[in-house]
Amino acid sequence: MKIESLKFEGVSFSHEGYDAVIKNVDFDFPMEQILWVKAQEGAGKSSLLQVIAGLQIPQSGQYLINGENVVDMSFEEFLPFRLQMGYSFDYGGLINNRSLFDNLVLPLLYHKLVTPEEARHRVMDLLKIYDVEKYAHERPAHVPGRVRKLTCVMRSLVMHPQVLLLDDPSVGIGQDSTYVFADHVHRLRKEGYLKHIFMTSYDEKFMGLFDYQIIHLDEGQLYFQTVDPDKKVVHL
Amino acid sequence: MTSLLAHIDSLGRSVTRNLEYTARVLLLVYLALRATILDKAQGFRQIVGVISAQIYFTGWQALPLVTVLALATGSVLILQALTNLSLLGGTQMIGSFLIVMIVREAGPIFVALVVIARSGTAVASELGNMRANREIEALESLGINPLSFIVFPRVLGGIISVLCLAFYFNFVALIGGFLVTRLLQEVPFTFYSESLTRAFAKDDVFIFILKNSFSGMIIFIVSCFQGLSVKKSPHEVPQVTTQAVVHSIIFVVIFNLVVTALFYLNQLRNLGVI
Repeated sequence: MKIESLKFEGVSFSHEGYDAVIKNVDFDFPMEQILWVKAQEGAGKSSLLQVIAGLQIPQSGQYLINGENVVDMSFEEFLPFRLQMGYSFDYGGLINNRSLFDNLVLPLLYHKLVTPEEARHRVMDLLKIYDVEKYAHERPAHVPGRVRKLTCVMRSLVMHPQVLLLDDPSVGIGQDSTYVFADHVHRLRKEGYLKHIFMTSYDEKFMGLFDYQIIHLDEGQLYFQTVDPDKKVVHL
Repeated sequence: MTSLLAHIDSLGRSVTRNLEYTARVLLLVYLALRATILDKAQGFRQIVGVISAQIYFTGWQALPLVTVLALATGSVLILQALTNLSLLGGTQMIGSFLIVMIVREAGPIFVALVVIARSGTAVASELGNMRANREIEALESLGINPLSFIVFPRVLGGIISVLCLAFYFNFVALIGGFLVTRLLQEVPFTFYSESLTRAFAKDDVFIFILKNSFSGMIIFIVSCFQGLSVKKSPHEVPQVTTQAVVHSIIFVVIFNLVVTALFYLNQLRNLGVI
């Protein structure tokens, strides 16, 4: 399934007992872009990414993917869209009773996307790219925090999704890994994957590694800002 | 008058709250079953892996504790029954007494309490920690339904474990208890075994399966429900674990009581007493 459009129509979302993260938003997300989602601390960037990923359900409005409203879809109905989305949390998220290798290989084997042999190769290649293969068979609690976060980011890439949603991916992975990650993303995009990327980050240097556009989340509304590639870093 | 109304109001709220809780737990049973049936991706191997792990932790690892409990229960009941029935001249009734006390009543309750203490707490805290650590959300983000991947195998594994443990408990309590009793009192084995065989009826099989399978389901579905009810923080985990124990015990005891009451009322009706 090809993801061609992502659109909010009158979407509102709030966590129980908190102010609305997005209020009655109409927004047509620009496609085939790397979108830097910016907002003040605590404004709801992570929640916005989770709504886009289908992990949180808006209280009202329509969230249209390829023109289909996915808000009322069951888990099974949404699955074809979900398999085209990679999501990485800002912290946590690894399955603690499985090794890093098993964490990475789980979605590939579970959904039978590739053969078991191919899945093993893909995961080992991924671990080699980020130079953490020596931790492959360790559980998350037994590896440094940097490796945990990296594994979480790698897991969002392992299925080669079309839509990639990353919540603060550069935090805690180390400077060298940010370059490896940026190279890896560029390579996968050239191969036709990761067409639509959404990232939240406070790290302008890290974001400078990408040709991004900006989405601002401000007081529950979304605003799009185009960025001239020659003057990439925008100070607001 | 105001005080009476306040009490009625409080009672009404409590009943409503408990009914709502029961409805939510039953909804989880339905959703887990539905998710498993609709989950086309989940392979037989994956589900069997989780079920067998659950049977290992709940069933196999509980054997030493169940052995001690069954031996003690069996010995005490056989000794007491032999002593008191001899005084009343009803030694022949030993089989019926033990089948009623061990297979129908004590077995299901004791096994359920052991499983609640060992595995109900473990499942509730495991799922609570998974929730707090965002593992449940992570599974969803990978297109893996936690209800079919986590809840259903635990419930099914739990039911199988409780049935097996209850069978083991009955065996050890009836046979092991007899052997322990032999150390203190001379009882012919043929007399004992014949008395048990005579007393054993198909109703006992029915009650054994009904009570133990539903106890298993209640314990694991309540524990999963409580574990998944963690919102964000790890500090909620011990709270939901305690609630899982309390709710499991209440549900299991009430269920056992209702089954026993209905069974004996039916027996009295068949005898024409009521």
